Amino acid sequence: MTALLPWLVAAWLLGIGLYGIVTSSNYIHLIGCLNVVQSATYVILLCVGYRWNAGPPIFDPQPPGTPAVDPVVQALVLTDIVIGATVSALLLALAVQLHKRKGTLDPEALRPMR
Amino acid sequence: MTVLLALLLFLTAATGAGIVFSRDPRRQVLAIAGNGLALTLLFTALQAPDVAFSELAVGTAALPLLFLVALASVRTDRKSDL
Amino acid sequence: MTRTARLLLFAVAVLVLAPAGVVVAMNMPAFGSHELPYGDAVNSTIPAARHISNMVSAVNFDVRGLDTLGEEFMLVCAVTGTVVLLRGERGEKLTSHPAQMRGRLNAPRSDALVLTGRLMGPMVLLFGLYVVLHATVTPGGGFQGGVVISSGLLLLYLCEDYQTWRWFMRAGWLDACEGGGALIFVLAGAAPLCFGAHFLQNIMPLGKFRDMLSGGLMQIVNAAVACAVLGGFALVFLEFLEETREPRGDP
Repeated sequence: MTALLPWLVAAWLLGIGLYGIVTSSNYIHLIGCLNVVQSATYVILLCVGYRWNAGPPIFDPQPPGTPAVDPVVQALVLTDIVIGATVSALLLALAVQLHKRKGTLDPEALRPMR
Repeated sequence: MTVLLALLLFLTAATGAGIVFSRDPRRQVLAIAGNGLALTLLFTALQAPDVAFSELAVGTAALPLLFLVALASVRTDRKSDL
Repeated sequence: MTRTARLLLFAVAVLVLAPAGVVVAMNMPAFGSHELPYGDAVNSTIPAARHISNMVSAVNFDVRGLDTLGEEFMLVCAVTGTVVLLRGERGEKLTSHPAQMRGRLNAPRSDALVLTGRLMGPMVLLFGLYVVLHATVTPGGGFQGGVVISSGLLLLYLCEDYQTWRWFMRAGWLDACEGGGALIFVLAGAAPLCFGAHFLQNIMPLGKFRDMLSGGLMQIVNAAVACAVLGGFALVFLEFLEETREPRGDP
C-alpha cells in the first residue's frame, strides 16, 4: 500500500487543484490552484525517475559509475518549474488588466456577454 | 518506502490542500511559499539537487512576490467614488 | 456555466476517474526498483563523452538541447506577453510616487531592512553567478542561477528606495539581456552547421573533467540561458512593481 503513495499523492494534488479551480471565487486564487496542479506533474515525474540507494546524478566527489537516479526527468522538471512561474506571471498580468476594466475578480460576476 | 519520504509526501499533499483551502488571496500567498518549501524538501529527498534549487528560488521568492504585487496593484486600483 | 453545473460536472468526472486512477496506480512499476534505461545510458556514457560531471546539465544543454530551445522560447513568449499587457497599458514613462490608498500609511523603510539588504544583496548576486558558472561541475545551471540572480535584484528592491532601484533596472538593458540570450542560443546552435556538423552538435574543445570550463558548446548555451532567464524574470518584476505606482496623470 505504501508503495502506491507517490502516485496517490500526485493524483490527490491534481484532484484538489482542479477542485480549487472549479470552486474558486477569485481569479488570483485560481492561479494559485493552477500551481498546485503543476506541482502534481513534478511529483510524478521525479518519483518515476527514483531508484533506491542511489545518489544524485552529479559525479563531483564520487566517480562516474556510482548508482544514480534518472537525470532525464530531472532536466524536464527543472525547466518546467521556471517556465511555470513565468506563465503564472502572464496569467496574473491578465488578471490585473481584467480588474482594471471590470472592477472585480469574481468569475461569477464576469460572465460572457449574451 | 522510507519514513522520511512518506512524511515528505504527506507534507506536500497537506500544503497543496492548504493552498486550495486558503480562499483569501493574501493568506494564499504564504500557503504558496509553504508549499514551495515542502516541495523543495521532497525534491532533495528524491536525490534531485538541481530541481530543489530551482523550486526554492522560484516557489519561495519569485512566485509569492508576483502574487503579492498583483494583489497590491489590484487593491490600489479600486474604482473609488463610482 | 453556473457554479452548480460546474460542481456537478466535476463530481461526475471524479466518480469516473478516481477508480481508474487507483487501477493505474496499482499497475505502475514498483517505486524505486524498476529499470531506468535512458538514465543509465546517460550516466554511463556522458562523463567520458563530454568530460562533465553534472548529468542534468548535460541532458538540458547537450543531449536534449532542442527541447531546451523550445522551453527558452516559451519563456520569451510568456515574458513578452506580460510586458506587452502591462507596459502597453501604462506607457513607458517613469512614475515616481507610490500609489496612495485612503486611510493607509506608506511606511518608510526601516534601517535594519536596509542594512540586511545591502549586506545580503551583493552576496546573493555573487552566489547566483557562481551557480551559473559551475553548471557542468556541481548542481547548477542557467535556469537555477538566473532565478537566483533575479531574486537578488528583488532583495535590492526591498532595501533601496524606488528611484535608486529603478535607476539601475533599466528596461532597455533587460530587454537586450533577455532577447540576446535567446538569440545567442540559436546562433550557438546554428554555428556547428557552418562546419559541417549537426545543429547544436558539440564541436568545441571539451576541456578537462571536473573543470569549470568543460563541456564545449554547453558553456555558451548555459550562459545564454542564464541571461535570458535573468532578463525575463527581472523584466516581469519590474513591470509588476511599476503597476503599484501612482497612475499616469499625477503632477
